[in-house]
Amino acid sequence: MSKIGSVAAWAFFSLCVIAVITLPVNLQTQLIVSVLIVTFMAVLKLANAGGRWRLIALAFGTAIVLRYVYWRTTSTLPPLNQLENFIPGFLLYLAEMYSVMMLSLSLFVVAMPLPPRKSSSISEGKFPKVDVFVPSYNEDAGLLANTLAAAKAMDYPADKLTVWLLDDGGTLQKRNSANLVEAQRASARNAELQALCDDLGVRYLTRERNEHAKAGNLNNGMLHSDGELIAVFDADHAPARDFLLETVGYFEQDPKLFLVQTPHFFLNPDPLERNLRTFEKMPSENEMFYGIIQRGLDKWNAAFFCGSAAVLRRKALEDTEGFSGMSITEDCETALALHGRGWNSIYVDRPLIAGLQPATFASFIGQRSRWAQGMMQILLFRFPLFKGGLSIPQRLCYMSSTLFWLFPIPRTIFLFAPLFYLFFDLEIFTASGGEFLAYTLAYMVVNLMMQNYLYGSFRWPWISELYEFAQTVHLLPAVISVLLRPSRPTFKVTAKDESISESRLSEIGRPFFVIFAVLFVALLMTVYRVYTEPYKADVTLVVGGWNLLNLIMAGCVLGVVSERGERAASRRVKVSRRCEFGVADQWYPATIEDVSAHGARVQVYGIDASTLPTDTEGGIRFEPYSGSGVAETLPVAIRNKEIAGDITIMGCRYLPQAARHHSLVADLIFANSRQWSEFQSARRGNPGLVRGTFWFLWMALYQTSRGMIYFLRSLRGSEAQKEGA
Amino acid sequence: MLRRLVLPALLLAGLATAASAQPSPFDMTGERPADAPILQPPASTGTGGGPAEPAVTARVPDEFKRFIIPFSALSLTGEVDERTWSVYLTPAQAQSAATLDFAYQNAIVVAPEASTLSIFINGELAGEKPIGSAEAATALSYDLKPGLLRAGSNDIRVKVRQRHRTDCTVESTYELWTEIAPESAFIRFSSGDSATLTSLDDVRAVGLDARGRTQFNLVVPGLQQPSRTAALMRLAQGLALRGQMPAQEFALSEVMPDLAEPGQMTALVGTAEEVAPFLERLPDGASSGPVAMFMRDGKTKSSVLVVSGPDWPAVQEAIEGITQPMDRPSNVPRDVIATGRWLLPETPLVVTNTRLRFSELGVETSEFTGRRFRTRFSVAVPSDFYADAYGDATLLLDAAYTEAVLPGSHIDIYVNGNIASTIPLNSVTGDILRHLPIKVTMRHFKPGPNLIEIEAVLSAEPDKACAPGTPASNDPRFALFDTSELRMPDFARIGRRPNLAAISGAAAPYRNDAAAVPLFVDRADEDTLSAAATFLARLAVAGGRPLLVEVITSPLAAGSRNAIFIGAMPQLPKTVLTQVGVDPARQMSWGNAEDTGRPDDTQKAIDEWRTRLSGGAWRTQVTAFQTWVKQEFDISLSSLRILPEAQAAYVPPESAGLVLAQGANPSDDATWTLLTAPTAKRLREGASAIADVTRWQQLAGRVSAYEPATDKIEATPVAGFDFVQTQPASLTNYRLILANWLSSNIMAYALLLIVLSVLLGLATSSMLTRLGRRQ
Repeated sequence: MSKIGSVAAWAFFSLCVIAVITLPVNLQTQLIVSVLIVTFMAVLKLANAGGRWRLIALAFGTAIVLRYVYWRTTSTLPPLNQLENFIPGFLLYLAEMYSVMMLSLSLFVVAMPLPPRKSSSISEGKFPKVDVFVPSYNEDAGLLANTLAAAKAMDYPADKLTVWLLDDGGTLQKRNSANLVEAQRASARNAELQALCDDLGVRYLTRERNEHAKAGNLNNGMLHSDGELIAVFDADHAPARDFLLETVGYFEQDPKLFLVQTPHFFLNPDPLERNLRTFEKMPSENEMFYGIIQRGLDKWNAAFFCGSAAVLRRKALEDTEGFSGMSITEDCETALALHGRGWNSIYVDRPLIAGLQPATFASFIGQRSRWAQGMMQILLFRFPLFKGGLSIPQRLCYMSSTLFWLFPIPRTIFLFAPLFYLFFDLEIFTASGGEFLAYTLAYMVVNLMMQNYLYGSFRWPWISELYEFAQTVHLLPAVISVLLRPSRPTFKVTAKDESISESRLSEIGRPFFVIFAVLFVALLMTVYRVYTEPYKADVTLVVGGWNLLNLIMAGCVLGVVSERGERAASRRVKVSRRCEFGVADQWYPATIEDVSAHGARVQVYGIDASTLPTDTEGGIRFEPYSGSGVAETLPVAIRNKEIAGDITIMGCRYLPQAARHHSLVADLIFANSRQWSEFQSARRGNPGLVRGTFWFLWMALYQTSRGMIYFLRSLRGSEAQKEGA
Repeated sequence: MLRRLVLPALLLAGLATAASAQPSPFDMTGERPADAPILQPPASTGTGGGPAEPAVTARVPDEFKRFIIPFSALSLTGEVDERTWSVYLTPAQAQSAATLDFAYQNAIVVAPEASTLSIFINGELAGEKPIGSAEAATALSYDLKPGLLRAGSNDIRVKVRQRHRTDCTVESTYELWTEIAPESAFIRFSSGDSATLTSLDDVRAVGLDARGRTQFNLVVPGLQQPSRTAALMRLAQGLALRGQMPAQEFALSEVMPDLAEPGQMTALVGTAEEVAPFLERLPDGASSGPVAMFMRDGKTKSSVLVVSGPDWPAVQEAIEGITQPMDRPSNVPRDVIATGRWLLPETPLVVTNTRLRFSELGVETSEFTGRRFRTRFSVAVPSDFYADAYGDATLLLDAAYTEAVLPGSHIDIYVNGNIASTIPLNSVTGDILRHLPIKVTMRHFKPGPNLIEIEAVLSAEPDKACAPGTPASNDPRFALFDTSELRMPDFARIGRRPNLAAISGAAAPYRNDAAAVPLFVDRADEDTLSAAATFLARLAVAGGRPLLVEVITSPLAAGSRNAIFIGAMPQLPKTVLTQVGVDPARQMSWGNAEDTGRPDDTQKAIDEWRTRLSGGAWRTQVTAFQTWVKQEFDISLSSLRILPEAQAAYVPPESAGLVLAQGANPSDDATWTLLTAPTAKRLREGASAIADVTRWQQLAGRVSAYEPATDKIEATPVAGFDFVQTQPASLTNYRLILANWLSSNIMAYALLLIVLSVLLGLATSSMLTRLGRRQ
């Protein structure tokens, strides 16, 4: 009853607000109202008001946004009889309305994200049987060994835990391939992985044909296993020891629960973070999704499966005949199907796995293309708004998640709209300077403030725009092609273990330089027109300012596609763990400072390192968390050293020889999930709108120059190549 | 409602020329079409005695002239300008041979070889001449070809095309003018009976005097009897509604004035017994029944409208015979506002969402070669128009300009002389604008006719060279097409009290009263009654229908009806002054003493001190910001007030000769309007001054004062007002009313939106804690 009452009250006040907003009041009133509301929002933001105040601030913002929509709809469209203005003008209008719609959907989703859940313990003696699936396609044995070892090392009764390597790279189809090299490679892989699995105590499973990609592989795993629960980890996602303890308990509480999803935490930066050097200080792109949006979805029982780092209930999966494979994002599609059949999902906001993400811009784009195309397929095949069995909030949540991926279309329109005026003198947005100030500027400021209010410490100002801009150029054709031929795209595995040894331009970076050049010419055109046509300088300045904003973005993206060379093959994780370092059977007290997937940095006390040559073999002896309290030794080779008095800091590379060694590496890197949370919270800080904007401007300027330098260097490089040839 | 009165026509026996006079019944069932049945009245002599007649060369003994210019001055300025209006002619005038005379003078900078002055009558060119009369006024005379003039309304259009001798700048176009003095412009009729008025329709032919004014003389032997006042007011309204001239005043007296003055008409009102001394013989039937007819005999020597009967009720009946046909339902809006006698076409009245084509509004397609193109039209809004704060009309402009027009040129739209919109013409290659929507703010719209001017300011490359003596380029560079449209939206409609603009525009709220309007006249003397007649007649013209009047002697008698109070200040009841917001303290002293002028001086002194002290940097910054905001967005501190300003009682200044004030009655359910002056004489002068359409249209606010010295209306704006429902309750109308009220009470809107947003935020929060998962 109180539910209906509160919805009715909300609907009533919404209608009141809409009635007041759609009053055709004059410009002066709008101006004063804008100033007042922006001030109020700023005060609420500065006061860091949460709870109800947060929703009040959002209501203020909504009021301004709706005023803008009302005005934009009723008074700014070019007249219908000027088709040359009307068509682009209407496209721009649609793009803006799409943005407003997405804003309202995300407001709905994240209006009140669920606070972190209390951990749920498993009743003593009632541990359900868990199958851990690690699907693989082409990842190498070393990477898989770490993941499998970490999975195997999870705290859970051993008789209730089975780890499966589901290998799609060694299927019968591949081994019998007509292509001899491929067949040989597949056979070798099959043999190698089987041996590894035997060593680690992991079940190896492959199948006859590579049907339905990842979904098919997982379904095949289901056929051969019988655990009550299924945990899925990507080949490069290694779980922490407490993964199952933190997730399995929820299944006992809710018999209709089909999914516990946990965030993906990455040890390495994505190409934007790496090239812009923001990994250490700025929250990652996916933190907005896992830190806020999944929590928001969770409130509406709409947290969805992200392909990895999740536990699912077999019974639920059997209800839908396994994982769905119609789209190339089988994870979200499966979750949608199960939500539609009345199953529940929850989200646990604590990083319990650590993984790798694409390192190069090209593979980053490849991954995003898959997501975008898959989500578009879900939108087209399963249109969530009208899908039966879902609650209304779930429908809206899924619409929000899928429609988001249409962003390349409006982004493109926003990118080119000012050029219509600057180059072709078309007026596609009819407004006076005063109206622009009172409506558009207020809308933009409020929009930024709302974003900051919603995502403040998870997403810094302008970063969303930057990510979208960087993806737009290559995602636009991908999205359009899937809209034209929905069943065309097929699953492609994203490469994540590449590394960049030397600084270079991304192979798909060219278009950004062309765009930058065009926008730069438009900037010159702005200046030219301001001087030669002073009578319309006001309009030119406004449109030119918009173009300048695009240019700043485009400049920043130049830095994104200028790939920095990287020394370490993978990202280091701080650990601070006591150990002993041994060379030639001589053991010294030491501390492990940080570790990566390939090596560790050790502080050794009292060793005389000056005589030790590079590549001297040695060992690190430490007590694994997962072990029985006995110290074990991991063989390493010394790569470099730094002597400071009594203390020598040594860079070592692992030399794993036995399966147990992989477990030790996994223990070093993945054992302690609290480290990851600490790392994440260290970079979660809200710089605020003003400081964030200045920071972004500075960065954009710097990255533009870096992009230009890389570009010139690449030109020189290709000339040199020509000369060489 | 419709009554048929058959009154015998007038037989003039005493004149030698009387030939074909015969009794001719006239029909008073309704408004007769302009080309009414032609009567053949006896011819008569009559000469209009205009003061200055520079143009008249040959004087024919029995010629008759009609002044034609309905303005106190006619000045045509800029490169193109024109005026169109209509003149009503009696059948006799239409049939007689006629000559058009006028004298004009122009600015010395007007180049004769490229400038013309044209005059059109009924759409036909009556005369055209190069403009070349800079030294002194030149008289022109054109014989009008037979058949050109019609009985009834005749359109007259004066048009100039002017070019500067030496200068091609836009600024130079402001130096171009041609003036026609009203006293020099008339139509001369040769036929002797042109001056004779025969049927009641001929009241329309009352005409103008040499200053563009019209006067009705009512000779009423029993003037002082208060019981007659109401009927006389009805007569004044009936005559005014027939005349429809731009400036009509009434002079009531007991004695016969000088007759045959131009622009005047005399009515003799009284029982047969009372009127007999003024006439050689009574009209037929006057002693047996109501009579209203024109007569002319040896004693009057000129046409006089005799309104008579055996007793006063019969006279009243005769008066109703004149006035009643002019009535129309009080609750039906007019299609057009009658402005034809000074502005053609008649102004359309827009009450709802309407599209008006320029061709309907009298704007023709025109191609233009010069620098500053101007055209104008008029559109009326009803008295309960309430969209001045938020509303926008849309002009859908069809126009074109060539590549000769330089970017930076623009089209400006003015509403009642205030700029309302500017559209840049920025294309380098010229452009054709097809129904280009232009928002025109309705801020300056007011009830009644509104003048909308379109001005295209065109700078062009050839003008930069501007070699003197080069032939003017005849290639048009700009065109405006009559397919353009004015689109009026649905606007908020609600009456306000007080609001003198509604009186001015449509005699609201009195127009809508089907019952009699209580009229308080302090004394039934000539001056006061003349003022009352003039004012009520003006009201009737503004409202388009005569008001029923009931004379009251005490304000209490008005009850909860809308009432009008007319009288000299000292005689007025104090309650009336208090109710309409005039300070009663100066009731006796107004107009007697030298102006003490203290409040003004103090304000001036404060302002002076303010400018003297504006040296402080901070203060300058703040002031500069205020000025900028005011300029750019028209927002001042006062527009941010939350509570309405306190309304101080109005103290009539010494400079004011007449005060019109409005307020609510004591029970707050009706409108009281007061017309007052220090003395009865000044009341009469003032009333006749404000009856002129140019001044009448300036009435606004809660108090409007006429200042004779400066010939200006000073309007005191309304501070607090009540709404008066005029339309059936409708949600859309209430929404628009709310929009307008909130647009003029910005802070109220801001507060409303903020409070609602806070409530919405709280409602959202309470809903979200109840819906979905929570922890």
